Amino acid sequence: MSRKGVGLAAFDRSRITSAQYASHGNSLRSSHSTSVATQLSVFRSLLQQFAQTHAKDIRSNPSFRAEFARMCAAIGVDPLASSSGAGGKDGGGSFWAQMLGGSVNDFYFELAVRVVEVCGASREENGGLIGVKEVKDRIMSTRMEGSSEITDDDILRAVNTLKPLGSSYSTLTVGPKIYIRSVPKELNIDQSAVLEAAQVLGYVTVSMLMINLKWPRARAKTAIDDLVSESMLWVDMQCAEWEYWSPGFMLGTGDDG
Amino acid sequence: MSASLPSTSPFPFPRFYNFPPFFSRQPTLQTHHSQLRKWSTLILNYCRHHRIFKLSLIDALDTELLYNKSLDKRMGIGEVREVVEFMRKEGRAEWAGEGGKGVGGNEVWIWWRNPEEWASLFYEWVDDTAQKHTVLTLYELTESEATISQEFHGMDPDLLQKALSILVKRGKAQVFGQEDQQGVKFF
Repeated sequence: MSRKGVGLAAFDRSRITSAQYASHGNSLRSSHSTSVATQLSVFRSLLQQFAQTHAKDIRSNPSFRAEFARMCAAIGVDPLASSSGAGGKDGGGSFWAQMLGGSVNDFYFELAVRVVEVCGASREENGGLIGVKEVKDRIMSTRMEGSSEITDDDILRAVNTLKPLGSSYSTLTVGPKIYIRSVPKELNIDQSAVLEAAQVLGYVTVSMLMINLKWPRARAKTAIDDLVSESMLWVDMQCAEWEYWSPGFMLGTGDDG
Repeated sequence: MSASLPSTSPFPFPRFYNFPPFFSRQPTLQTHHSQLRKWSTLILNYCRHHRIFKLSLIDALDTELLYNKSLDKRMGIGEVREVVEFMRKEGRAEWAGEGGKGVGGNEVWIWWRNPEEWASLFYEWVDDTAQKHTVLTLYELTESEATISQEFHGMDPDLLQKALSILVKRGKAQVFGQEDQQGVKFF
């Protein structure tokens, strides 16, 4: 008959158990946190050593830089976020800036300035939406010879450094392509679809959209017209059916110039 | 100034020359403005490359400048006029003809250097070659071998007159003689 304590004592018992669990949990937690803290300090000093020894490589070698950034991301350290952290960890400069003498930060900040320049200069022709690759090409074309190479990844990181400024710079993925947006403008689903379609041949037409996306004419026309009025598409009227070109293709084809 | 020899080499067209919509007037104001600026740059560079001082719009329509054969796209006369107007407002073009009143006309000065700039170029050259107070014929200035390396070599005679008259006004030169036999002296 005494299968289970169903009397009042059961309440006491459960209270005691939970208290025991809690105290055990506390001790576990504290021992855990001390060990993590030690690990972290060891790790930090190792990372610091590593970064100091390889600061030059990080700055000059794009693939090394990307690997380093990926490693940091994998272990949950964002080199850029930790550098812009409010208050800076150890008094003056940030944890990261101290580690690398600011070189990684400076690299991305300088790059960010260039990105802003390129976006500003090209806004008129592309409505403030420019592919990461085009930005890279433009920056590379104006750089001095012998200066270190930059990658798409670097550009994206540079754009992220602009975030704390509350600026309108953000990245936007349309299909397989990543764009940098320098005007606070949201694209709706139809507009994104049109831009994605325009990546294939460089242009779209109303009937292309009607056939491939099974859109009624009015829908295709509206989406295109919206993008044209935002300078995100250019019209070629010298063809049987008007073609709407993505300004990204201005850089993608032809010779340098 | 080694690059200033009249080049027979083909003009290196910019990338946007191969962008088909570049040849159609863009309906969006902002895009159109960007288009005008690109055309303005292209025309100035093209004229500088080929030492074209005065452009006849009608004739230019069929040249590579305004007609991209490989794309089979071309600029219409209306669009070109708009570009020229844009350039004129930027001080980089001027309608040729009676008193600059040939608006909508056919011929247009392309100021890849404007008359002021030409004037100072002449003056510098004369100074550098120690020919002040020497009488030079206008033919000598623009057609002789002595100036073959200069950008003003082969200059349109009307433009030459314009540039010299600026120097005359400033009292830095004096032009004398009859037509075809004119000479100039720099001070």
